[in-house]
Amino acid sequence: MRLLLVEDDAMIGEALRTGLRRDGFVVDWVRDGDAADQVLRTEPFDLVLLDLGLPRKDGLQLLKSLRARNEMLPVLIITARDAVSDRVQGLDAGADDYLVKPFDLDELAARIRALLRRKSGRTVPEVEHLGVTLDPAAHRVTKDGREVTLSPKEFALLHLLMERPGNILSRTQIEERLYGWGEEVESNAVEVHIHGLRRKLGSDFIVNVRGVGYRVRPA
Amino acid sequence: MNSVRARLLAWLLGGVLFVGAVGGWFVYRNALVEADLFFDYHLRQTALLLSDQPVEYLSPEIPQTNADYDFVVQVWTLDGVRVYLSRPHAVLPAITTLGFSTATTSEGRWRMFGVQAPTKVIQVAQPMRVRERQAVELALRTLTPFVLLMPMLVIFIWFAVGHALEPVRRLTSLVQSRKVTALDPLPAENLPGEVQPLVGALNDLLGRLGAALERERGFLADAAHELRTPLTALYLQMGTLARATNEAERADAMEKLSEGVQRAIRLVEQLLSLARQEPRADMVRKRLRFDDLAREVVAEMVPLADARKIDLGISASQPAYVLGDPDALRTLIRNLVDNAVRYTPVGGTVDVAVQDADAPGTSHGAILRVIDTGPGIPPDERKRVFDRFYRPPGTTPPGSGLGMAIVKTIADAHGATVVLDSDPTTHGLAVTVSFPLS
Repeated sequence: MRLLLVEDDAMIGEALRTGLRRDGFVVDWVRDGDAADQVLRTEPFDLVLLDLGLPRKDGLQLLKSLRARNEMLPVLIITARDAVSDRVQGLDAGADDYLVKPFDLDELAARIRALLRRKSGRTVPEVEHLGVTLDPAAHRVTKDGREVTLSPKEFALLHLLMERPGNILSRTQIEERLYGWGEEVESNAVEVHIHGLRRKLGSDFIVNVRGVGYRVRPA
Repeated sequence: MNSVRARLLAWLLGGVLFVGAVGGWFVYRNALVEADLFFDYHLRQTALLLSDQPVEYLSPEIPQTNADYDFVVQVWTLDGVRVYLSRPHAVLPAITTLGFSTATTSEGRWRMFGVQAPTKVIQVAQPMRVRERQAVELALRTLTPFVLLMPMLVIFIWFAVGHALEPVRRLTSLVQSRKVTALDPLPAENLPGEVQPLVGALNDLLGRLGAALERERGFLADAAHELRTPLTALYLQMGTLARATNEAERADAMEKLSEGVQRAIRLVEQLLSLARQEPRADMVRKRLRFDDLAREVVAEMVPLADARKIDLGISASQPAYVLGDPDALRTLIRNLVDNAVRYTPVGGTVDVAVQDADAPGTSHGAILRVIDTGPGIPPDERKRVFDRFYRPPGTTPPGSGLGMAIVKTIADAHGATVVLDSDPTTHGLAVTVSFPLS
């Protein structure tokens, strides 16, 4: 899952990026409102972590212009503004959740997972398809009750594919959501991960739609 | 005796008593003059009456018109033998002068009137104390009502003063019953003109107190808010430390955590520094060699500059004097140099110069200049950097946002001006602090 972190404070931004990456998220980080506005128009993200006190363009303004474009992207506000009126304003401007600084990294990760789950229309945290169960919080995958060990990228790819079973994802779409800026992408990286997943979950679990992309086998 | 009521009472009663006493004295004097005229007339009438009568008819006790008059009659023959004395008074003068006279005897002063008849000399005498007694009685009769009315006057004054002071009493209870937080002005209407200036001064003080309190409250809120950012960073850094899976990640997280702690410490130190520089009455004022202070601070900052590979030095220095607090001035220079060193890219230059403009014809005292080769501050940001917690956007590394506020506070306390400008040669920031003539 690829997150956009909009935070002007270097230390907080870096700690968030490091911590969330360890939780398996792909995190891209911009430090001001203008830059955030720009990348949100051009690149696909699954969720935005938005600080409000931003240089160049205020967080609320950014959020409003995002919602004005009819963008459904989940937005989680992370800010030091703790007044009730601030929270109300933030949520009314279109935020999906509001977290006041200082907060715990685990709580933030849990709230991100909850938002992502809601976005995919599920009510239970685990994703299940044809005997394969994926627990985003625990990073656990089981097949017919037996645990399967996946690499972080394999896990992220499987999560993407199982999020909407039957939905076909192109190689570029997968690459964009699997890798953040500055991450080295081998030309056959996606194929390598697909191969790994097929080996561990059965060769027919993921099917290739020639010339289009990949999807999990329909039930 | 510090109560207005007691004072008024003492003064008013004293005044009434004094006026009464003076009035009584005048009454007494007038009564004395009246009594003199009255009794002299009687003396003369009695003497003239007796002169028409033969001595033989004089009874031993002559009927007296008024016993209180205490007349004494003596009759002599022409050759000086006393033939009649109405009452023995040993001390009466044996010889008389004709007409009115006054004599002093062992019984006091006497008023006498002598008249010569064809065969005898008649003298009528009266002790002066009779007249004095009359005058005193008259004076006392006049004063008695005053004295009797004194207690009523006391009561009246007591209540009158109480009534006049009622607004003051109301004001007092109003102030007493106030909550510490109530700083709205006291009502000035319905107050006597004498109390109005006091209330005005109090209200002025309350206003200034309120403004100061508001500033403090704002500062506290701002400070707490600002502390959140480094604390959030610390909290998150702890989270990443907990997530570290190997030694390298753990070491990296520890390093970040340590940077976060240092940043929090620095913010707290700057907050303390600002709190210490808030205007106060007991500021030290010494005549100081400002160039020496600048040299001291630059020497102290060299290690930081070295770490950032910045060439820090004094480009010009003249003996210059400033009247002020050495610790505060060191803090001012330190903050300026610290800012310059932090925001100048690695390999840059920071120049500190002290000039003495105390020469004739100039309006400034010492001048401090700190010039760097950093990115400078855009003109429209220059005013705002003096605001507490303001950081120009995109500033890296993030500072406390307090450095320039501290500089400004210290400069203000010393009557100095701070001007930010772009240096024409380096295009970096040039900060000029001009002190007044010392």
